[in-house]
Amino acid sequence: MRKIFAIAVKELKTYFMSPSAYIILIICVAIFNFFFFVIIDENREATLRDVFLAMHFIFMTVIPIITMKVFSEEKASGTLEFLLTTPTTPSTIVLGKYLGSGIFLSIIIAVSSVYLFILEVFGSPDILSSLCGYLGVLLQGCAAVAIGVFISSLTKSQAISGILTYVVLFFIYFAEILKKYVPEYLSVILTQLSSSNRAEGFNTGVISLSDLVYYLSIIIFSLVLSRLSLERRN
Amino acid sequence: MLVDIKNLTKYYGKKKAVDVASLEIGRGEIVGVLGRNGAGKTTLMRVLTGFLSPSSGKVTVGGCDIVKNSPAAKALIGYLPENPPLYLNMSVYDYLLFAAQLKDVPNLRLRAEVARVLDVCDIKDVKSELIYTLSKGYRQRVGIAQAIINDPKLIILDEPTSGLDPLQIFKVRALIRNLGSERTVILSTHILSEIDQTVQRVIILKEGKIVLDCPSGRAENNASLNTLEETFLNLHKEDMA
Repeated sequence: MRKIFAIAVKELKTYFMSPSAYIILIICVAIFNFFFFVIIDENREATLRDVFLAMHFIFMTVIPIITMKVFSEEKASGTLEFLLTTPTTPSTIVLGKYLGSGIFLSIIIAVSSVYLFILEVFGSPDILSSLCGYLGVLLQGCAAVAIGVFISSLTKSQAISGILTYVVLFFIYFAEILKKYVPEYLSVILTQLSSSNRAEGFNTGVISLSDLVYYLSIIIFSLVLSRLSLERRN
Repeated sequence: MLVDIKNLTKYYGKKKAVDVASLEIGRGEIVGVLGRNGAGKTTLMRVLTGFLSPSSGKVTVGGCDIVKNSPAAKALIGYLPENPPLYLNMSVYDYLLFAAQLKDVPNLRLRAEVARVLDVCDIKDVKSELIYTLSKGYRQRVGIAQAIINDPKLIILDEPTSGLDPLQIFKVRALIRNLGSERTVILSTHILSEIDQTVQRVIILKEGKIVLDCPSGRAENNASLNTLEETFLNLHKEDMA
């Protein structure tokens, strides 16, 4: 456990030692602010439901930037050789890296919690429903980070890692749109795979077991694949 | 016996990179692995450290199988790859602290252990510097410092003096000799003079196979030849045609 935290802390330090972390934070906050004020002004409702929808979509473009260097950079610079020749298991390395990226994502989400306070001051929002929406954003983000970490473990090119993560996340998000173009048995799979419907439930304050299982399955599956990818590098 | 290799092979696709029938290395030996580029030195080092798994055969370090009991075997090894594996945006101190955490140094001993390796490698004066600002010589010594954290029984150095200036080479060789007084050191090189000045035993690899294994003094007299260079050239005479 100590090594997982050591790797996570090192990962977070790496993010904040480069300007990209601050640029991502500033851009995310700016876009969230824009959507928050436009949506609240348009709907005149004390709810963050549509803001959460926007956040889901924005994270699809931000998360590949967060995860593209997780393993790719270590592979390109040779530091993966250092990590894997210490008495540290591949599982520990994957969990440490994932935790570091997950905490960075959580910081971005935490910054947006100020909207809840604004709504509380000027209206009477359903707090539980909003917290449920945040849980949905967090789960969707964590699932996307896990996918990004796995893809990053496949290549030493950050560009390829980032682009592939974009493609996979967009495919998963819009999978349901494709169902009318494919045979029946595939359309069932695409519906189950699509993440856009899952987010809807959380945004309206409903936590369903199937949605929790969906996100946790993606996270666990991606992390197991990442571990296998590290073990089978040779 | 600290290192025991039996029937080791390592393939890249169909190409056999390493084929070592038997190799034993005792405690306290300084062993130099010589060979041309592509002879299999780095692959052998990577298999020994557990970074690559063998295609067949068995490698044990301190009695621990490098594949089946990997964390226990790796805990006995300190490794410096050919290109020092450094996080360039970290300070020397933070990097060594991170390495110490991964190498199972207890929390209470972390700072003392980092102070010890800073002292041994003579890099105390740059401990607060970011690694990307350091010269190649300093980077190499930071790499050696991470390799000796937690006092491993076996230190593996892949071309430790490659790309250094003469003074830096002198300092790194002195450091290796100092390390070898208490531990087993395996170093790979294609610089023949390195062997004379640093190691006690020479292993020459050719196409992944050991073609010579003897004390370094005897390598110089092998087959009635005068120098290690002539021995090496004699073993590769068909490549010179």
